[in-house]
Amino acid sequence: MIVDPELFESMRLELRRGSLVLAVLARLREERYGYTLRQALASDGLEMEESTLYPLLRRLESQGLLTSEWREEEKRRKRFYRLSPMGEAMLSALADEWRGISASLDKIL
Amino acid sequence: MDLIDRYLNAVAAQLPQDERADIIAELRDLILSRFEAREEELGRALTGDEQEAILHEIGHPLVVAARYRKGPDSLIGPELFPYWLFAVKAGLLLMLAVQAIVLFINLVGGPADAGQSISQAIHGFIGSGITLIGVVTVIGAAMEHVGYRPRWMDRWRVSELSAFGLSDPAAWGAAMGGTRTAKATWAPRSLGRARGWPGGEYLFSFLATGVFVLWWIGAIHFPGLIRLGPPGAEALVTGAPIWTTLFGAILLYAVAQMAVDLASLARPSAVRMRAAAQAVIAAAGLWLTWTIFGAGHWFTLTRDGETARIAGDWSLLDIDRLRALGDGTRDLAGMAGTLSLVMSWVLALSAIGLVFKIVGSLWRLVQPDPRRTA
Repeated sequence: MIVDPELFESMRLELRRGSLVLAVLARLREERYGYTLRQALASDGLEMEESTLYPLLRRLESQGLLTSEWREEEKRRKRFYRLSPMGEAMLSALADEWRGISASLDKIL
Repeated sequence: MDLIDRYLNAVAAQLPQDERADIIAELRDLILSRFEAREEELGRALTGDEQEAILHEIGHPLVVAARYRKGPDSLIGPELFPYWLFAVKAGLLLMLAVQAIVLFINLVGGPADAGQSISQAIHGFIGSGITLIGVVTVIGAAMEHVGYRPRWMDRWRVSELSAFGLSDPAAWGAAMGGTRTAKATWAPRSLGRARGWPGGEYLFSFLATGVFVLWWIGAIHFPGLIRLGPPGAEALVTGAPIWTTLFGAILLYAVAQMAVDLASLARPSAVRMRAAAQAVIAAAGLWLTWTIFGAGHWFTLTRDGETARIAGDWSLLDIDRLRALGDGTRDLAGMAGTLSLVMSWVLALSAIGLVFKIVGSLWRLVQPDPRRTA
């Protein structure tokens, strides 16, 4: 049976949507600015549009999960993000949840 | 002004003032980083088209700015959407039913042009339908904007779901006028098994009172109502001052009745609440009937410069006079006399009916709550 590519793409995006927050939090254990974070995620196989990533970073910061700081680097001011203590606790809890879901799905699949 | 400034200005215009500078500074860094990375790949400066292609990849300014919005992303969100859709469907069906009734009455009442009546009904439905959709959408968008979540979205009871049949035209037809076979065919299974949809009674009352209200405020007209008598010898009927005096009170009475019908449609199991409201409304109806009767003069008939009053008092509530109904003369005075007698008895019987309604409602009010005894 041939898989409908459009339907597959829509379901794939739906599947990935929730996991991207987890990936962003995990990658920000180490301080990064938006552009290098996107590159790091892409090298992990998690491509993300800028128009999605940057607003997500601001939202996570407003939720207290990230901290940010403007600093000059390579002759330009950049905004660096890092996981806050609350963000670390959240990442740990979400990672446990993710492993649980993954283990359950592995049993079924 | 270069491409980046133009692009960022377009984004900035959509952003809230307090965050604008911060977001734009970050976006500028992103764009410059993208340009530099591409220039490094190519080993040369980017052309205008290549720069524009990267800005295209980042996204349309409206879309990019919208991602930073803190409020809801849509006018009606996915949680509220089913309720919005129900309100629109049920409202449109209600509008259609009202227009159909008005059209029917206009056609039966002898309009000058049937085609014009049909055209007015279609225009009326389209106009009122668009208004309805607009009003429901504005209410839904306001609820989304302030994050208001009504209690009925979470705390609903199965016994109160009958009004949701309103969005199904088959349920309307089957419940209000269908035969047993039609009900079995078109109505939902639960409706087919029931002796009738309980909402049908309230719906009919709501529609009928709604048509009366529209006529009362002058929104619709029934040409046949202002002339009485055989063709060629018709008398013009004009209302007595009592109707002007009671205009607001009668309008309020009818609107209150519609509100109770609507509440009954939404919560048919709220028997005691409905009984209390109906007792109050019936008491108001009794007062209105008493005041109208007490005025003594209800209408005036005019024909060829001659006038006669449709008026009455207690003396007309006499069985012997009722037996003689129809024995009067055929002139204007005779017609007014007959109508005076009919009107007196109609008012008296209405008053008796309202007294029974008050007693019945009060009786239901003191009965144990059926939901608790069930």
